[in-house]
Amino acid sequence: MIYRCLQFFALLIASCLCIVSCQILTPSADQGISPLGQGDRPVTLKLGGWGSSPAEQRLFQKVLTTFEATHPHIRVKLETVADQYMDVLKTRLIGDAAPDVFFLDSFEAPFLMSNQVLEPLDAYLTPDFDLADFETTLLAPFQQDGILYGLPKDCSSLALFYNKQAFAEAGIAQPPATWDELLADAQRLTRDRDQNGKMDQYGLGILPDLARLVYLMRAFGGVAIDPQGKAAFASAAALKGLNLIVQPYQDGIAVRPPDVGANSGTEMFGQGKAAMVIEGNWAIPFLQETFPDLAFATAEVPRIQDQPGTMVYTVGYVMNRQSSHKSEAWELIRYLTGKKGMALWTGGGSALPSRQSVAQALHYDRDPLRSPLVAGIKYATPWQLGQYPAAIMNSFNNQFISAILAEQPLQQALQRAQNSANQQIQAAEQ
Amino acid sequence: MSPAILGLGLFTIAPILFAIFLSFQKVQLLGGIEYEFVSFRNFARLATDDRLWIALKNTAEYVAIVVPAQTILALILAATLNAGIKGQNIWRILFFLPTITSSTVLTLIFMWIYNADGLFNQALAWIGLPTYNWLSDPQVALKGIMIMNIWSTAPFFMVIYLAALQDIPRSLYEAAEIDGANGWQQFRYITLPQLRPVTFFVVAMGIIGTFQLFDQSYIFSGGSGGPNNATLTVVLLIYQYVFRDLQLGYAAAIAFLLALIIIIVTLIQRRIFDQDPT
Repeated sequence: MIYRCLQFFALLIASCLCIVSCQILTPSADQGISPLGQGDRPVTLKLGGWGSSPAEQRLFQKVLTTFEATHPHIRVKLETVADQYMDVLKTRLIGDAAPDVFFLDSFEAPFLMSNQVLEPLDAYLTPDFDLADFETTLLAPFQQDGILYGLPKDCSSLALFYNKQAFAEAGIAQPPATWDELLADAQRLTRDRDQNGKMDQYGLGILPDLARLVYLMRAFGGVAIDPQGKAAFASAAALKGLNLIVQPYQDGIAVRPPDVGANSGTEMFGQGKAAMVIEGNWAIPFLQETFPDLAFATAEVPRIQDQPGTMVYTVGYVMNRQSSHKSEAWELIRYLTGKKGMALWTGGGSALPSRQSVAQALHYDRDPLRSPLVAGIKYATPWQLGQYPAAIMNSFNNQFISAILAEQPLQQALQRAQNSANQQIQAAEQ
Repeated sequence: MSPAILGLGLFTIAPILFAIFLSFQKVQLLGGIEYEFVSFRNFARLATDDRLWIALKNTAEYVAIVVPAQTILALILAATLNAGIKGQNIWRILFFLPTITSSTVLTLIFMWIYNADGLFNQALAWIGLPTYNWLSDPQVALKGIMIMNIWSTAPFFMVIYLAALQDIPRSLYEAAEIDGANGWQQFRYITLPQLRPVTFFVVAMGIIGTFQLFDQSYIFSGGSGGPNNATLTVVLLIYQYVFRDLQLGYAAAIAFLLALIIIIVTLIQRRIFDQDPT
């Protein structure tokens, strides 16, 4: 009886809160969207995304303006989320206030796909859209149970960036082709120029972050997650792969950005504190603008176990299932991921196209700096960790840092991280 | 009267009751909101959640160091200012500046200072002390936030102490002087006991504020509580469970645990302060 009363009271309060919040929300929900049936007034679509560099923002705005010029019945309102994009987006999806079309990182895709908030896109696809033109490693992250929920807008893969001057100084003619060569080169490139006991230049710059490391595990047959979506990196194979960066760090020939006062791998490379880094195509415009005097080149990530491997990160456009302008939303997605729209966007150079035909049209497969990156997309490991990525990534990163600092053996760190991640996943699923 | 009750009911009582309701539910938020009654499962999960215990340990360590340090520092600053040094107003403004600066801005500035090649490490190296990787070494990351917070909140409590110090009647000190008490004895047997109620207030506010540490560790770690959960606090954990994992019910259960801890600590502290000074 008491329980009933409590439940009633709680529901009463909940409904009061609902009524209040609905009354606050209702007027704003209708703003700017013309009612259905008035065909002559343009439809305003909301496009949600995160901000990037001013140059990229300008370019993206230009792409949208071109779209509006060719589709006069659609206006696009770009809504940029400055920080913590996924937190904001999830809250807005819950509040039915999410944009019609929005960016979605492949890493976050499984959670939203399985929660039925994204519109399946298979029904919209037409043969002239040419889905086969997309790289399969980039489509897979946006598919669940055979249904396609998103289309990759662009991608970034990792390649080896090396400082040409440092290589010449150390008498190294060629970039390393295998991981063993990489370590030998790193040894020669680690230098203490002023003999003060503190290294001025390290051979290899590393980032101890799972997002950069899954391909190392895969080189020996290890995985980050099992098919059930549980963490599974505490294996002998994964350990071998991860040791490829743990050992050099502990030997003092590899370095992390905070060790040398840098904020990122590219900064550490640009400042000359690391002679080699494994970074993505975002580094190219950054290095050219921030360090114009730096002579650098790129090469494919050195082979491990005679197998090529790298990571690829992709962001897709997805459609909100609650959108009231789905056909217009599809027109926008079709344009932005179509051959013209993508060529316009990825022509800016900070991201690689996800369509093979666009990469060829832009000559990125023959560009000396970008061809190693484009080549990597084919064999790369897409960055995705199942439905509970944060639990897996945070557990891993936290324990891995302490292993790399030699506070505990790597084996123990991986086991602890895996247990902690799986415990969190289990608690969230019950 | 009724508008006050309505306001209080809607913005204070109703959220508390709703939080109680939530802590017994599993809430599905995305793709249609659904509530499922799970009785005490959320509370049972508290005991098995390793990250919660890490967060509690971090928070307790933070409270145990920051509260005494900021209280003592505030008292010293106030006593110094009250002693009538030259340029009292300028000192007061200088001391108070950190408190009026937004904690977000402070944190960002401190992240520069704590950089591996930053000001703080250079100062440490100059006086011959070991330098640390303040932002990414799990051993010292929380200590970095502690130093920053002691520095920025002590002046606020200093102002409260200063007001209280100026309220102590001069006659007490004059009488003590006639009895032959020296400066330290006056401070120990007059100033400190007279400040007792204010100290209770300062410590209670300090404990409540420090238990709710969120923004500094959020900015410091980019919301992750890293490195190696070193800056994970209870409130940051609640935030992560709500906005990252969308587990509203469990987050409400943690919030209740936190409220309970703060209430108990405050009650214990009241008991201590209520005892007769001997």
